[in-house]
Amino acid sequence: MTTELTANGKPFVHHHGAHCETAVTSALFGNQGLDVSEPMIFGIGSGIFFGYLPMVKLVHLQVTAFRNKPGSVFRKAAKRLGANFVIKTYRDPQKGMDELRQVLKAGHIVGLATNLYWLPYVSERHRHNFGGHNIIVLRETEAGFRISDPTFDHPMDCSADGLERARFVPGPMNPRGFMYYTKSVQPHPDLRQACIKGMKNSCGLMLRIPLPIFGVRGMRFLAKKIIKSPDKLGFQEACRSLAGTVRWVEETGTGGAGFRYMYAAFMQEAAELFGSDELARLSRDMTAIGDTWREFSVTAARIIKQRDKEAETFAKAGGLILKCADREEAFFKELQKVVKKLEA
Amino acid sequence: MEYDKIFNELFDADGLRKGYYKLDGQGKYVLDTNPTLGEAVVNGLMLTELRTHLEESRKAVHAGLKSPLFYYMELRQFDLPTLAKSAGIASFRVKRHLRPEIFAKLKPSVLERYAKVLMVTQQELKTVPDI
Repeated sequence: MTTELTANGKPFVHHHGAHCETAVTSALFGNQGLDVSEPMIFGIGSGIFFGYLPMVKLVHLQVTAFRNKPGSVFRKAAKRLGANFVIKTYRDPQKGMDELRQVLKAGHIVGLATNLYWLPYVSERHRHNFGGHNIIVLRETEAGFRISDPTFDHPMDCSADGLERARFVPGPMNPRGFMYYTKSVQPHPDLRQACIKGMKNSCGLMLRIPLPIFGVRGMRFLAKKIIKSPDKLGFQEACRSLAGTVRWVEETGTGGAGFRYMYAAFMQEAAELFGSDELARLSRDMTAIGDTWREFSVTAARIIKQRDKEAETFAKAGGLILKCADREEAFFKELQKVVKKLEA
Repeated sequence: MEYDKIFNELFDADGLRKGYYKLDGQGKYVLDTNPTLGEAVVNGLMLTELRTHLEESRKAVHAGLKSPLFYYMELRQFDLPTLAKSAGIASFRVKRHLRPEIFAKLKPSVLERYAKVLMVTQQELKTVPDI
């Protein structure tokens, strides 16, 4: 935890977070005087999700999303907490950078969506072409910008060219200079109402979308694909696509399993807020679901490393996802019932 | 292959630690910075794959099978449709430009478009590094 100064000389405390967007949102609110933890934002903004998008390919691999689309967590959380906020995208990079400078001068700190590959301070290990990484810009310096990237544990410097490039990478995953900040927040929002809204919305997203690629149905769809993959694609290629999936489970953002743990953390906080034992029990259920996802990734890692070929098969990996799907379905159905009993 | 080893080496080198929510002894969620085995293996695998692809493409360019454009495409983690869309050049043309004999005849204006997208100079774009 380090303290930095923003453009108008206010102190800003850099918090290390698990996931970029929720941590950025939490920090933006925190800077305005509203202390909401990262898991709380994740729950209120209905971040938890599942989507398997076979038609969207990033470097030859299908996208498996474990959270809602970039930008939506901030928007939903800000709405539900009654904040006054601005969200903007740009066509013209120059205009985007100019407006960023103006907003910084006005004393706001600004959240940006950037492409992870082109951010100059990111090391080789984190570099991949992903256009939804969120960071906070604190102030302009002589060499560029001072940046608080909550994924990492200390603030960074970034050159102006590098930032412009990362904000406006041409191509299909273009963040288009996505920029957001809060003008003002309510100092004492109705947290309970916001939590209830967030939970209800999440239940709907996981259970009710009538397409086979989203929510619980999406998990089953993915599981079937994985089970069939070695016959269809051959062992090598199947391993590659499995590794792609595990990458989404473990790495991107905080990883699918990580999001499950974060949701469990949210349930824990909500349980305290409402004084509800049922939510505390659901939190433990969610932890178990996270563990199952993690078990899946360990199994997958063993398949890829070709350890113990007899026991670690694609069928087992797919079976674990099916298990996750069943458990999450039960979880969200239960949550639906519990939410109805909660009072704002 | 020891994919997690590659990951751990880089992990120690760059010092950029991510956070993960984990249960502590009392059943409370806290932030922790130790990566999981799954992440280590997968990240290591991806890194190895990117490096081998890059090395193979470099050799292919030296052998005269591909144009340097192919190497820089791999270097920036683009695939063909992405590169085409970014540069604003139709993908069938980009595909042609991956052939060395056609790449050699490209006008500077076309090279400039590629150079801009791939963040290299025109001079660099015509050659690949020897290692």
